[in-house]
This record gives sequence, C-alpha cells and structure tokens, in this order.
Amino acid sequence: MAEDTTGASPSSGSPATTAEDAALQEALAAAHTAVWGYGVVGAALPADAHDLVVAAERAHQDLRDQVAALLTSRSADPVAAEAAYTLPFPVLSATDAAALAVTLEDGTSATWTWVLDQATERSTRELGVAALTAAEVRAVGWRTQAGRAPVTSAFPGLPAG
Amino acid sequence: MSAALPPSSVGAALSRPFSRRTLLAALAGTALAAAGCTGSAGDDADAVTPAQVDQLATQVQVQEALVAAYGLAFAASPDLAATAAPLAEQARAQLDRLRAAAPGSPASSTAVGSPAAPVDAAGARAFLRGQVAVTADSHAFACPDFTGARAALLGSIAAGLRGQDGLLA
Repeated sequence: MAEDTTGASPSSGSPATTAEDAALQEALAAAHTAVWGYGVVGAALPADAHDLVVAAERAHQDLRDQVAALLTSRSADPVAAEAAYTLPFPVLSATDAAALAVTLEDGTSATWTWVLDQATERSTRELGVAALTAAEVRAVGWRTQAGRAPVTSAFPGLPAG
Repeated sequence: MSAALPPSSVGAALSRPFSRRTLLAALAGTALAAAGCTGSAGDDADAVTPAQVDQLATQVQVQEALVAAYGLAFAASPDLAATAAPLAEQARAQLDRLRAAAPGSPASSTAVGSPAAPVDAAGARAFLRGQVAVTADSHAFACPDFTGARAALLGSIAAGLRGQDGLLA
C-alpha cells in the first residue's frame, strides 16, 4: 500500500502504521520545505509583515518537530530536510512572496489530507485535522495578499475534481 | 552551498501524495462499502459501520443547515450576498461531496439545527459567521471518527469552512 514514489525514505517500525508513517514522512518533508520557503517569503516582504511570516514559520517548525518525534517514537527514521530547494517561480516582489506562501500552505494541506486518508491512529487524525485547518487559515491570508480569487477553498488539500 | 546535491523543487516536494492515488476515486468506489460491508474490492479503511453511516448522515444535515443559513443571510443582506456568493457555492459543493460519501444518503433531508431565526442586514454577517464556525467544528469533531477517504473529506471540509470563518471575521 505504501508505495514510495518520493524522495523520502521512510522506514517504519510497526506494520500497523506503515502507510500512516509513510504519509507522515510526506508531511514532515512538506514541513521542512515550508520552513525553508518562509525564509524566502520573509526576505521578500516588507518589515510590517515580519510577525506574520515568523508565526507561520514557527507553526511549521513546531509541526516538523512534533511529527519527527512521533516517527522516532515508532522507530521510524524521520526524513531530513533537503540541502536546498529550487523555487517554483522567481520571488521578486511582495506579491510573489505571498504566492510562494500559498504554494507552501497548499502543499502542506495536501500532505495532511493524505495523512487523514492513511492514518490508522485516531490521535494522528486529530493531529491531521488540526494541521490541515491551520494551513488553510494561513493560506486564506496569503491568497488575499497574492490577489488570488477565490481566497477560500472548498476542499483544501484534496485534488481538484 | 550544496554543490554536490541537486536542489529539490519546492513544488515537487509539496505535490507528491496524490500522485499515487486519487482520493476522490477511492471515495466513489467505496461508497458501496456501507454498513460494515467491507467488500473484497474495497479498502478496509473506507468501510463504514452502521454508527458511522448515522454519523455521516448527521454531517450531511449539518452541512444542509449551513447552506440554508447562507440563504437566510443573503436574503437579509443583499450586500453580503454580492460579496460572499463564492462562499455559498463552496458550501453547496461541500454538501454535494458529503452526500456522495454518505451511503444511502437521500438527496435532501431534514437539516438538524436549521437556523430558523430571521436575520437583519446588520446581523447577517455575524449570524453567517457563527453558522460557518459551528459547522466547521462539527466536521472537525467528526473527522477522527472515520478512516480513509471519508476522514480526509471531513477534515478538508472542516478546514475549508474554518478558512471561510476567518474571511467573514
């Protein structure tokens, strides 16, 4: 079930949570990416947006640490951050920065929706719905700043269908 | 700098999960696995117990109440109707998806907690925001009771409504 087509190399301890752990590894990889990405976002935004960026970055750091600890407790080896990432588009303005933040949050939502789909543990689903909700709330703010419409999403994290 | 390693793409790193499986297809395919009938072709995670069937029906009714609340709020405040129409469309789309995921769910049912109280233009926004928040809470609370695609759907809808809540604030 847990076909691995990613760059992550999840290793799990319990067969009962193998698929869940693989999904959590995806979420962890997304958290690493978001932490890195918010550094770019912050550098391109004016100083008055600093608090917003720091809060978002801290949220992803906290989630990263929580997921890594969970995987470690299951004798799974948490995926590490990549040494570097390439940006999906040039970030040359405040609007570009907000658009990158939207990409980071939408990607985070996708991974947590997948965790919800794969999770066997109720506590993981509780974590998942909280993480997904927080990402979408942040995404609404960034979509507004990026001039996107609509700024809300009916189905955050789910593939367009 | 990491000269030895090619950098990963941010977009690729964030778009992996659903390349393996289309969750929506999983939902459509497992709607038949109702009432504890796992079905040989179905995914165990997407089977539902009788209690979960009832719970899903309740979530459909909760969403129906929200769609009704949008109608009430828009009738009371044309300005709100003009600005928040996309939110109402999203609420209706969520209802359609919930109905599709609820085994044996009728096209419409008696909404629980239907907001019967008329609202005036001044209070329409606050009224609507309250209804959105209550609905988001309900779906978020129900989400961990399910597994598989239904857990993902309920969690996603809860998150989407929480986003609406923030926009209406």
